[in-house]
Amino acid sequence: MTDEEHKELWELIQNPPPGSKIAAAKEFGIDLTLNLRLLLLTPTERAERMNSALEYAIELKQAGAKLPNE
Amino acid sequence: MNKFAALVKLLGEAQVDFVVIGGYAAMLHGSAFLTQDLDICYERSPQNLRRLAAALAPIHPRLRGAPEGIPFSLDERTLAQGMNFTLQTDWIDLDLLGEISGAGQFSDLVRDAESIDVYGAPHLVASLDTIIKSKQAAGRPKDRNALPELEALRELKFRKHK
Repeated sequence: MTDEEHKELWELIQNPPPGSKIAAAKEFGIDLTLNLRLLLLTPTERAERMNSALEYAIELKQAGAKLPNE
Repeated sequence: MNKFAALVKLLGEAQVDFVVIGGYAAMLHGSAFLTQDLDICYERSPQNLRRLAAALAPIHPRLRGAPEGIPFSLDERTLAQGMNFTLQTDWIDLDLLGEISGAGQFSDLVRDAESIDVYGAPHLVASLDTIIKSKQAAGRPKDRNALPELEALRELKFRKHK
């Protein structure tokens, strides 16, 4: 992505045209800056990030399962 | 290489015809949602079913969540008799989809699928349009919740390529 494209997408996310899907997603509660960051990465880097997040989520779940029941 | 990409590579090297769809495909398009399984739409010719079963055999595909002792063997015959399978393997969970509501079969998905390189392994990935159609057709709460992000991503990508 060029710097110019990056700036254009950033501007779109900050001030989406009324009635656009970008505006609808923001209203729905989606943080599109996360998506913009991912779009700046290569697909391999996106896959790496997802894998790290997934492994962390699984570790948390396993740690939670080991806690004594209240 | 992560296990998702490793599995796609394994199937690719076995010359299985398939398109990656679902959460992993959405992530490759820029979605921030996490997914725990790989969904693929596979071509259903006898040759391809044979290649698919042979490629998966070393990682022991079995019915996801099924109790021990339930007889199951993923071979060409099993694949031919069914359509969609939810499996677990030694690597990750895998959904094999012969047909997808709203999106169709392999021959439909492949038309506008994109080839995306992940760790140097080419992935044939369903288009955002196809993923959106499949989520709209599925209509479950988790699919409906994914739609605003995917539709916004499509708009962002359209602007980027304008």
